[in-house]
Amino acid sequence: MDSAMNAKNKKSVALADQRINVYGFLAGIYRQELVPDLLSQIRTPPFRGVLSDLGANLGDEFFARKDEDMIEDLAVEYTRLFMGPGKHIPPYESIHHERRTDGDWGKFWGASTVEVKKFIETAGLQYKDDFAALPDHISVEFEFMQKVIERERDAWAEGDRDKALYCLKMEKMFIDDHLIKWVPRFCSEVVSNAELSFYREIAKITGNFIEFEKENIDAYISDA
Amino acid sequence: MSTITRRNFMKFAAASGAVLAAGKGFESEALAGTVATQTGRDFSPATGKERKAIPSACWQCVSRDSMIGFVEDGRLVKLEGHPKSIRGQGHICARGQGGLTSVYDPDRILYPMRRTGPRGSGKWKRISWDEAISELTGRIKKLRDAGHPEKFLFHYGRMKASSGKLIGGLVKATGTGSIGNHTGVCESAKWTAQEMTWGGHFDNWDIDHTKYMLIMGSNILETHTNHMSVAHRIMHAKIDRGVPMKTFDVRMSNTAAKSDEWIPIKQGTDMAVVLAMTKVVLDKGLYKGDGEEFLKFCKCTPKHDDTVANKIAALKKHYANYTPAWAEKISGVPASTIEKIAVEFATTKPAVLIAYRGAVTNYNGCDSERARQVLSSLTGNVDAPGTNCKAVGAGWKSAKVPKAKTKKVKDIFDGAPKGEPESYPFPTHHASHQVLSRIKAKGPGTFDLAVWYCYTPYFANGNWAENEAVLKDESLLPFVISCDTSYGDSTHFADMILPDATYLERFDWEDMVDPTQTGEYYIRQALVKPLGEARDFGDVMIEVVNRLGMKTNYKTKEEYVQQSVDMTPGVKEAGGWAYMAKEGVWNAGKTHYFSYKEVILDPKKQVCKVGGSVYEDLKDPEAICSYFGDDVLFDNLAGVWWHWKASKAHSEDEAKQKGYYGTKYAYKGYVATKMGDIAYKGFGPDKVNKSGYMELWSQILVDAGYNALPEWMPAPNQKNMGSDDMHLTTYKVCVQTHSRTQNNKWLTEIYPNNHAWINPKDAGKRGISDGDKIKVKSPIAEMTSYAHVTENAQPGHIHIAHHMGHIQYGRYASGNKAPEGRSDPDDKNIHWKWHGSHPNQVIPNWGDRLSGFQRWNDTVVTVKKA
Repeated sequence: MDSAMNAKNKKSVALADQRINVYGFLAGIYRQELVPDLLSQIRTPPFRGVLSDLGANLGDEFFARKDEDMIEDLAVEYTRLFMGPGKHIPPYESIHHERRTDGDWGKFWGASTVEVKKFIETAGLQYKDDFAALPDHISVEFEFMQKVIERERDAWAEGDRDKALYCLKMEKMFIDDHLIKWVPRFCSEVVSNAELSFYREIAKITGNFIEFEKENIDAYISDA
Repeated sequence: MSTITRRNFMKFAAASGAVLAAGKGFESEALAGTVATQTGRDFSPATGKERKAIPSACWQCVSRDSMIGFVEDGRLVKLEGHPKSIRGQGHICARGQGGLTSVYDPDRILYPMRRTGPRGSGKWKRISWDEAISELTGRIKKLRDAGHPEKFLFHYGRMKASSGKLIGGLVKATGTGSIGNHTGVCESAKWTAQEMTWGGHFDNWDIDHTKYMLIMGSNILETHTNHMSVAHRIMHAKIDRGVPMKTFDVRMSNTAAKSDEWIPIKQGTDMAVVLAMTKVVLDKGLYKGDGEEFLKFCKCTPKHDDTVANKIAALKKHYANYTPAWAEKISGVPASTIEKIAVEFATTKPAVLIAYRGAVTNYNGCDSERARQVLSSLTGNVDAPGTNCKAVGAGWKSAKVPKAKTKKVKDIFDGAPKGEPESYPFPTHHASHQVLSRIKAKGPGTFDLAVWYCYTPYFANGNWAENEAVLKDESLLPFVISCDTSYGDSTHFADMILPDATYLERFDWEDMVDPTQTGEYYIRQALVKPLGEARDFGDVMIEVVNRLGMKTNYKTKEEYVQQSVDMTPGVKEAGGWAYMAKEGVWNAGKTHYFSYKEVILDPKKQVCKVGGSVYEDLKDPEAICSYFGDDVLFDNLAGVWWHWKASKAHSEDEAKQKGYYGTKYAYKGYVATKMGDIAYKGFGPDKVNKSGYMELWSQILVDAGYNALPEWMPAPNQKNMGSDDMHLTTYKVCVQTHSRTQNNKWLTEIYPNNHAWINPKDAGKRGISDGDKIKVKSPIAEMTSYAHVTENAQPGHIHIAHHMGHIQYGRYASGNKAPEGRSDPDDKNIHWKWHGSHPNQVIPNWGDRLSGFQRWNDTVVTVKKA
């Protein structure tokens, strides 16, 4: 019984690690403009292979262009897409999360922002003092998921199924109430507006990943 | 739909992991701290204020469902069902959710008060708790010192679980046994019948495993003793599993409306239909199989060890004249329908027969429930998965409560003395509706002190005019204390008021029946501190008995509850109070079916649950009495081994001569019943002398001069009804309880008054249109109401919900503010001017012929336009 339980827990730890990695990676991608070290890791052949498997066509130029030029292009694109000035696609939930019941969406610091902040603080986390963006930035939401799943992973490792389930349910609630309500919509806007292949393809992967999460989270819970 | 496959996800995760592991470009994260997995801070999305979520239990009605209370800045803001409760599974009803407004009722009593004007004048003066407790203690002490502690009358309405154990125990510790309850106005006929048949009371319907649901006289989707935990299961059974649901009801209740079939039935005639259904089962041989097997455990003839064939023959003989055609004449239900439902019920197994108050509030109440026990037994639908089961609840241990020898005033609680009208042979749950008229009959000097605890004798019983006269009469009730949360109708006639804590401000362990046959242990915690100077009456009584010189190991009810929880097996190991305070619920996970098959002695299988090892066969049952104990006798008529010393018999000879059935309290010494070559615990007794058989044939009824098997007897007051006479029946709605919720502004805003339902045919004959003012006249009084003309009422019947029409109980219930009533911002939202009219005022306090249960639905009235 114990060994069976352990094998099951190990499987759960492995799955949690995989999800932590993806959320962590995506949080880093959206948090700020790409830095050279990150770009060079993304441009390694193994990562290129994975992106290709995921159906992402970054084009030869992405891999061929000189580092500093590529960094510059991507920084410009990041700013243009996510920060403005001018027409841009703010990466905040309260802009994209259509709240049909109260109509409170399409603006900064909307009802969704408040809910996300409360959700995160209720879970026991605090926004760092030097964090300057709004609380419902896409990278914060991904980072939050990363941290909850880390806690879930630790619970599995400790053999504490109740705690792990608690975390899984928190993850489900956050996916259902927040991520799925806006990330795919946001990503498709990015796909339509991106000029460089990198953000276009990453946005496709991001939207697909959140849908993948939505489709699988119930099974993660029922299998737990 | 995502285009990512699991395989690609894993590859992507691995590659992402490699990037993360390198740690470059990921320095500035936004969040700090650790994810809390248990008791994190909670914030209200609406107000942004910090919230506390506290597990507790409801008390709006006797279902007492587990719930979570949310408190913001010390104010209770929301109540929800407890998701971990196996009973409620996260559900509480509208009444439960609305409960929080009772804490903040502007007509709530916040301080102890003493009457200054004449009784009932509404003039009061605030006093201190010390004065109030000194008064109560002084009066009890005076009676105790004079050798008449029984002249202290304590009468409660709702007092369950730890409140019952502690408060009831402490009241008894003062020496009085003069304690009244209220089951006689709820459903006691049903309980008495169950005590006569399968011993113990309360049935649970195993909805989760049933394949057929037959409902009689129960609006179970809106209201019930175990409402939400059963109701939501019924809907799952119906919708998820397609379980048929057939409902007999005098009116189109919401339960009837949601059923696959509503079968209208004349008031009080459910029993006739059940008798006829049973005959169908007997005639068609539908008892074969499960029924026959179960009949081995049933007593159907005078002989306890009769053969199944003889049992069937005896039943066939008794039921010979109860034909569907006969039942059709009485009930109005077509014989073909009776036959169809009987066949469905008997052949779709397992099946439940859900019957409640509506089926027993009549002259035949107790016997109608016995008739249902026969039908369930004959079809094998008893105590097995998916059938009518003996109820299972939590088995809490109780911290020690001081004890004293008690004395009780006779001929008060059980109806009139033998030989007089309204005397009953088996009032096993008393006849509380008779108490005021019994006090009147006994005259001045019967009681010196009366305390009402969560009880409103004025409102909860019939014949209001008599109630008011007795309550006002200071010679009959010299000093009355009412322990109440708000200014109730009976409190209005008290001499002193003790402001009680609401259920949201106090602690209890709770034990209501679990529909999964498991038994759920759960608690109630104070969500907020009692408002003003309100105090839990448990705390008050602890102080009273300590002032009387007795000692308790706890100073408050909270401590009593914690000590009890910490000593209860199972809960204790799970973490005791610390665990329960955090989680609110606990259950052992073991289900209980076939309770009657517990073997005490089986020589063949070498099972022996008595001292030593008794493996002799049971051919000479008297020979093995000594194995059970020195004072154990074997009764040949009952087939029962019993300790005669536990009974009221003075000697062994007297016990032998009177026998098990004839000796008072013989059931208290019950050991086991012989069935064939095995001694079973069986359906052991708990209130009357019965054997371990399912006693469909009752010796004690024979001894009392009644038929041993269920017998239809027309109600005397309905034998000669005129063409203008109508049946008055009462019912409940989903947002009110009988007496206690009308001060709740949310609930009463939804249901502020109770129009009388009348069929268009009856209305037309009387020239009554929808909304007209009408007069309803009974043999004892006349009331006014307003008509709701609807096809949902059955011709010949007038249906009036028994909730509204308070004379006091605050502005929402009656329009009258309490003496210290405060203003409330929602006063402007009171959209109703008529506060309803309660049918109790015209209903006599008559009892069922066997149990004495109040015949709420038996009153014959005339109705006319006012």
